[in-house]
Amino acid sequence: MNSTPQSFPPGIDAITFTDGLPGFEECRHFVVMSSPTLEPFMCIQGLGEDAPSFLAIDPRLVVDDYRCELGESDRTRLETPTGRPLLWLAIVSPDAGGAKVNLRSPVVINPETMRGVQVLEGDQAYPLDYRLTAG
Amino acid sequence: MLVITRKLDEAIVIGDGIEVRVLRVGREGVRLGVTAPSHIAVHRREVYDQIKAANVAAAGNPEAIGRLAARLRERTTVEAAAGDGRRNA
Repeated sequence: MNSTPQSFPPGIDAITFTDGLPGFEECRHFVVMSSPTLEPFMCIQGLGEDAPSFLAIDPRLVVDDYRCELGESDRTRLETPTGRPLLWLAIVSPDAGGAKVNLRSPVVINPETMRGVQVLEGDQAYPLDYRLTAG
Repeated sequence: MLVITRKLDEAIVIGDGIEVRVLRVGREGVRLGVTAPSHIAVHRREVYDQIKAANVAAAGNPEAIGRLAARLRERTTVEAAAGDGRRNA
């Protein structure tokens, strides 16, 4: 299943998004980085020249009872179910000195298969632009 | 763009295994049934474009993302932001 040319150094354990992310469909491989200097955020970093990076956060840290159902095509592309829990990340964007979080369309990663998707038909009750800070 | 006229209950086939069928034609809109392999995602265009715009606004290079994290860490306690993220019904 490794049909895509890899433009990043060998040995990097990349997560494959078979459809890319909306707006960045060409970029299929990402790594997720966490570090004490980012905490509680993480960085979803695209691999390759001019690949996008995103700041992200576990949506449950933003909303206690966060819930989002995965559709059939998302589950198929993640190759679930597996024993291990999925990694859920909501993308953070800068906004007037503060930040907004996209709670409606989270990025979901299966750490076992190293497949990722962005949920597009998420719960409409969650906003695309949940205000994280008082800017 | 390929333009095809279809009547009620007629369909088109795209590639290998994707079928789009006209289920209902009404004054308010056309109801389509899409049959596709389970790994194929089907989305409404306006939903896709909305999320695309949000992603484009959020994307940056790793340095910019690091600066954003540093700025937010200075001024955010995530606990303080926690709460009910759902819009008022």
